[in-house]
Amino acid sequence: MNQQELNEKLKDIAAKVISIDTPAANRIYMPCESENIRDICRFLFADVGARFVIATGIDSDDCFEIIYHFSYDQTGCVINVKAYIRDRENPEVESITPLIPGAEWIEREMHDLLGIGFRNHPRLERLILADDWPDGVYPLRKDAKL
Amino acid sequence: MNWKMWSLKKSPWVFHVNAGACNNCDIEVVDCLTPKFDVERFGIKLVGSPRHADALLVTGCVTRQIAPRLKEAYLQTSKPCVVFALGACACGTGIFCSGYHVVGPVDKIIKEADPNAIIAYVPGCPPKPEAMISGVVKALAAI
Amino acid sequence: MSEILQNLFWILVFPGFLFSAVLGLVATWIVRKVSAMVHHRIGPPLGQPLYDVMKLLGKETLIPQAGQSFMFVVAPLVGLAAILLLSTMLWRISIAPDELFVGDIIVAVYLMVIPSLALILGSSASASAHAAIGASREMKLVVAYELPLVLAFVVVLIKTAAVAGQNQVLSLAGIAGHASVLSISGLLAFLVALLCVQAKLGFVPFDIPEAETEIAGGVLIEYSGALLAVWIIMQAIMLVALPLFLVVVFLGGFGTTLAGFIGGLGKYVGVLVLIILIKNTNPRMRIDQAMKFFWFYCGPVLAVAVVLAMIGNVTGINWL
Repeated sequence: MNQQELNEKLKDIAAKVISIDTPAANRIYMPCESENIRDICRFLFADVGARFVIATGIDSDDCFEIIYHFSYDQTGCVINVKAYIRDRENPEVESITPLIPGAEWIEREMHDLLGIGFRNHPRLERLILADDWPDGVYPLRKDAKL
Repeated sequence: MNWKMWSLKKSPWVFHVNAGACNNCDIEVVDCLTPKFDVERFGIKLVGSPRHADALLVTGCVTRQIAPRLKEAYLQTSKPCVVFALGACACGTGIFCSGYHVVGPVDKIIKEADPNAIIAYVPGCPPKPEAMISGVVKALAAI
Repeated sequence: MSEILQNLFWILVFPGFLFSAVLGLVATWIVRKVSAMVHHRIGPPLGQPLYDVMKLLGKETLIPQAGQSFMFVVAPLVGLAAILLLSTMLWRISIAPDELFVGDIIVAVYLMVIPSLALILGSSASASAHAAIGASREMKLVVAYELPLVLAFVVVLIKTAAVAGQNQVLSLAGIAGHASVLSISGLLAFLVALLCVQAKLGFVPFDIPEAETEIAGGVLIEYSGALLAVWIIMQAIMLVALPLFLVVVFLGGFGTTLAGFIGGLGKYVGVLVLIILIKNTNPRMRIDQAMKFFWFYCGPVLAVAVVLAMIGNVTGINWL
């Protein structure tokens, strides 16, 4: 599809996202709530045919955010899906690893460093922190006491 | 100066340890060992095992995961040996001094294993191969 | 009594330990210097191998606790003793060719195997996973190149038997009389034997057991200090004995006259330079590639050489 058709196709998922913003010709931002993330990722991966690039975990002051970066290689368009995780005490989101196996490690890294839980992740173990790092201390949280 | 130290200066064999570096210093170390700089003139040879080594080239601010392994590699090197802390991170943790994963510069960790260790510092980010050769020559002259 | 003293002199001083060790260290320096010249750089000074050995003698010798310490210490000494005997024997034959004994060929072939065996034993006694991998690779390499080496030797024996006649005792001195390389089968056998010697010396492209960057030092990973110095001296004496073996068997050895002796030294240096050039122009092989190379490439070449040698024997054509 070219860019026009892609923009048309994305309207199919408009019900699940908060908005679809196009700040530049080949950048599309789609903020959403974290409950819908699995449907949106399945739509982008299977229906649109975009490639999952990486995910970014952020500790904003009142919530956690995970930005999933997808790339539509035919037009060079990057689609960023920002999921808001409103619960700060017990942040959890549905894992997209059963759908996209390449997301396994980045979700483990976000779990290590930010403490975000991923439901249905096949192997949520420690990845990059040291073996003797204490449990429950998440270094990249704003209120982490190190 | 006895013959042991004299022959150590004439033939220092090096073993490279990456203690959590960004690989910039490691690239420069490997560059230093290429035919362009010809460190074999000084008898320097890269060996594959710490037991064969006289000098440990340590790069990187030491991370929590590698600190016990760095101490183990130092203990396995047969004495007498010299530890070279290459790069700003190894000399004093550089820009990572407040990182959550950093346990200290190289000399702090090595001194936990052996308080009498001989440590030489070659700062730079990364130090040029010429700086490394100059550092090694000065360190060997000072022993 | 004086017989014992004379034998001790031959084994320990000339052409034994002292002479072979010094010549071996000079040969090691030649290898490193010529490699440096090929790389367009300066290279180490003449005394560098000696400084290496002196430095190693001054370091502490660590013996792994979980290893078999008796075999760990004895293996390098056994290897050194074997290669020392081989070097002494070959030099005695070159300098005083009348002193021959029946079966010295067999003794030479057996003595050549022992350093590799010592390497396998020593690394197996090291109690290290890397050393175990190195030991298994060394075993496979020995299995790969021993047969072609012996077969190449057999080609020379076939050729010499025709010339020597029926009643002469076939010994190394007898083989050294004429240069087998000046015939097609001899040339093929010499090329294969050169590669087998390259593998035995542990030089690239066959330095698979002691692959430094791959298995962290391989067979010698746990050795340090004085024991490592013994391995280094053993490898240095191998650099004297094995090209000398090639010179004696294939290239006509050292003659009886002074000119012949200097020519023999020139042949030795020539073989050494060939080994250095092969070392500097090739990458390291994998162990399965090396085994395939020795069995499926060198094997047929040697079979052709054996056939040519026998045809040459029967029909009396010398250059086959």
